[in-house]
Amino acid sequence: MTATRLVFDAAAALAILFACVMVVHRNPVKSVLALVVSFFALAVAYVLLAAPLIAAIQVIVYAGAILVLFLFVLMLLNVPEEGRQGSSRPIHQVLSGAAILVFGAALLALLRSHGATRAEPAAFSAAGPSDVATTSRLLFSEHLLSFEALSVLLLAALVGAFALARREDQA
Amino acid sequence: MIAGGIPLGDVLLASGALFVIGLVGALLRRNAITIFLSIELMMNGANLAVLGYAAALNSVEGQVVVFFVIAIAAAEAAVGLAIFVALFRHTETIDVNRINLLKW
Amino acid sequence: MNLTDWLIAALRVLVPVLAIMLVLPIPMWLERRGAGLIQDRPGPNRVGPFGLLQPVADAVKFFMKEDLIPSNTDRFLFVLAPAIALFSALTTFAVIPYGPAVTIDGREFPLVGADVSIGILYLFALTSLSVYGIVLAGWSSNNKFSLIGGIRSSAQIISYELAMTTAAAGVILAAGSFRLTEVVSMQTGTWLGFIPRWNVFPQFLGFVVFYVATFAETNRVPFDLPEAEAELVGGYHTEYSAFKFAMFFMAEYVNMIVVSALTVTLFFGGWSLPGYEPQGWVGVIVSALVFFAKTAIFVWIFIWVRWTLPRFRYDQLMRLGWKALLPIALLNLLWVAFLVLKGWLP
Repeated sequence: MTATRLVFDAAAALAILFACVMVVHRNPVKSVLALVVSFFALAVAYVLLAAPLIAAIQVIVYAGAILVLFLFVLMLLNVPEEGRQGSSRPIHQVLSGAAILVFGAALLALLRSHGATRAEPAAFSAAGPSDVATTSRLLFSEHLLSFEALSVLLLAALVGAFALARREDQA
Repeated sequence: MIAGGIPLGDVLLASGALFVIGLVGALLRRNAITIFLSIELMMNGANLAVLGYAAALNSVEGQVVVFFVIAIAAAEAAVGLAIFVALFRHTETIDVNRINLLKW
Repeated sequence: MNLTDWLIAALRVLVPVLAIMLVLPIPMWLERRGAGLIQDRPGPNRVGPFGLLQPVADAVKFFMKEDLIPSNTDRFLFVLAPAIALFSALTTFAVIPYGPAVTIDGREFPLVGADVSIGILYLFALTSLSVYGIVLAGWSSNNKFSLIGGIRSSAQIISYELAMTTAAAGVILAAGSFRLTEVVSMQTGTWLGFIPRWNVFPQFLGFVVFYVATFAETNRVPFDLPEAEAELVGGYHTEYSAFKFAMFFMAEYVNMIVVSALTVTLFFGGWSLPGYEPQGWVGVIVSALVFFAKTAIFVWIFIWVRWTLPRFRYDQLMRLGWKALLPIALLNLLWVAFLVLKGWLP
């Protein structure tokens, strides 16, 4: 039980805990905040998996931009807490629960076949390159086309979001 | 600098758990924004699994994949929230059970 | 890891944080006396000689005041917001180097909280987290003015973050690394024997954009409309009193110090002094003092500008950020790319 594994387990546990809080909480603002903490814990986990660039991007983009956007939309729409009335039909809840259980069992079986739950699974050593330069080099050489396509995608999303959300009565 | 010692199983279990929790949220909540948040959580679970394998197989390609996933998630979140805002302006509710005008 | 390693690790973490907390009364005093100097009045001079104990008096006042929480609001969010603001302000200092590497037991330790490979990206990550403090403060105050102030302030911060990071990207491109220690070591030495190799000379546009953006990031005049007294009472910290207000107050000053330190590191050579090679412990202390002095100059400029310039109207502010600073920062990036390709910038 090395220190790295301990910290990773702690970070993963924190992420899972706050993910549960997010799913369970009634108030959507608190859900978003719980998810922020969860993503921050995931960023810590990413650092331990030798991906510091992705950890930084996770915090900057996911926790620091996407979730802020969620928060702004929640405040703009003044979304109320989820009340008791208008609850889903029971058949829907039962079927969803059954589907989740089946899926969870299948996932566990898959992970077990990969040796996930054995007592002391094979550890790997993240001795590979873990600095920013390697990832960036790959991004700009092999995946350059995807990278440029991504920027076009972001531009399209920007224009699309603006077009969708503006008021009808504006000139 | 990272000494390693994280079993792949730990990573996969965590990622599976996050995915299933996100699935629970996406299926059982009624607030459209919370459903969207749960979907983002599922994507993060998948990201964690990809990074776990990237570290285990000593490959950097996994990090590039996750980079693209995060950026695409940003684009999708922007458009999805714009749709919600437009929808909310018309229907005054965010409960997905009430938004049923297209049902037969 | 033996005891020395633990001690060194602990010191590397504690020194930046404690240094900032100890230095904090200085800008507080400087602000009040500097305001007096610029406005041709004495400023506080009753508490101690030259009003030097004024920050102490302020601190005592903050502790003694009644702590109010408005009714009908979410108490948890109300209390959480200043904590987030202070947390993100304090932790950003971890990647800024304040001295050259010291050699203990034959190993080199750079004088920085954490010399991570993502360097400045860590700093930007934490700056984006500070938005939450402001938005939550505005939202949970249950007050129209706070909400408007909070939304305006967070929109301003995320807009100017773009210009700031693009201007910093020019420096990163020239240095070839995200680590701020590399950025500083790239700026040692001189051109032609007397011009220091600071990044402000080849990248002057980038420096201007960066420095203006930092004013907007810290909500200081001329970009402080979100907390303008005349328009918005107090903006997002209207409803805060006593210690929670003190946390916002401290967060603002810590942000100011960190952002000045960052400007010094990126554009003015950090702890290096042209023509001086730091040797041993004396060199370390001299370099740290040089860093402190340079940061102090930029903090003074923050204060000077506050009491000199009028503030921007909100639409002027947003127009400046998106239509002026961002294109100039991109131009600067192109210019730096050209310089690097030509080999004129290492």
